[in-house]
Amino acid sequence: MARSIARSVLGLAFAAVMTVPWLPAQAAGQSTVNVKSTRDPVDKSYRKMIRGMERFERERALAPNATLRFQLLPRLPSVDMRGITLRIAGDTVSIPVKVETNNTFVLPRNEPALQQDAALLASRKTSSMTWRARIESPGVPAGSRRLGDLRLECRVGKEAGLVSNSSPMFGWISDALSTPEGVCTSPEGNYLFFAERPIFSVRLRAGERVATLPFSMLYAGGEQTPDMLPFCDCQVLLDRTYYVPLWDSSWPDDTLVEFDYMLDPAQAP
Amino acid sequence: MMHRLSACALAVSLVAGCATQPAAPPGAQVDAARLAQSVVAGRSTRAELLAAFGPTRSIRFDSGYEAWVYQSPAGGGAFTEFVVLIDPQGVVSKTRTGPTSTP
Repeated sequence: MARSIARSVLGLAFAAVMTVPWLPAQAAGQSTVNVKSTRDPVDKSYRKMIRGMERFERERALAPNATLRFQLLPRLPSVDMRGITLRIAGDTVSIPVKVETNNTFVLPRNEPALQQDAALLASRKTSSMTWRARIESPGVPAGSRRLGDLRLECRVGKEAGLVSNSSPMFGWISDALSTPEGVCTSPEGNYLFFAERPIFSVRLRAGERVATLPFSMLYAGGEQTPDMLPFCDCQVLLDRTYYVPLWDSSWPDDTLVEFDYMLDPAQAP
Repeated sequence: MMHRLSACALAVSLVAGCATQPAAPPGAQVDAARLAQSVVAGRSTRAELLAAFGPTRSIRFDSGYEAWVYQSPAGGGAFTEFVVLIDPQGVVSKTRTGPTSTP
């Protein structure tokens, strides 16, 4: 339902953007305010990301032995994901953050940066990337993830404000409809995960119990139209996108999420 | 008649009041045996699927791959998914059956 509502509201917002005439402020009888600049939506709030890290520590029970990294992902086909640099930028602080070749990084805690409400700045254009938490427990077989890790990724990701939507209006709608609790513990939650490679099938496995996820839980629900896709941060990762039943406590945290990829390892580029 | 149907549909959408069957999951409905006999990975083509079963729910990716989904009636109002992966050359590369929806 929430996904449907979000889609409906997005449709209305999209229609409004496309049809409402944008009158000059003077013509509309309004005063004007000059804004020198706005924060790039790709730039993240350092405070929010630290809040995400604190949530990771609070809810470690979901993934007791896991590590937390953050991950940069492509959002536009044109973005070059090689050689990305990051820095924490406040009024007086500027702290470089090392980005690994797989575009993951660990965020250091810095009190002056917190006090200055610093931003995390990436060396890429607006809307060219999206971000996710990457929480990994040791011992998980290759080609699979652990459900408890994903449950915690959702909570950390929402707390840290990682999902990057291209439209400020869509971002506002998304935030209004999706608290971490609403998204990560509700059957209507809509937190998207991205596999390492294009997926054909996703299975849950807990002991002898095995279930294949329905088509509606792959590819962002399989309902994204070309008009809608640019508003989703799954824009260029659609074939790697999946939901999992984070809310369903009948699947324990140690449940394995197993992937069948479109291409077998020998065929994959 | 159309107005009455529309009114009923509207009422269903608002209060789920009219007695109707739950909607089938998206995708063309095709008997499971026909799918199993007709769709062969490495051999069947997009054109053959379209000719045999008509259009169905599908998604095309930037890579040129496509995923098509059919719904096979499984009794009691339930449906079993049959998903087909079509490669950029238009040939079926993988298929899978399941899960079965709960009515």
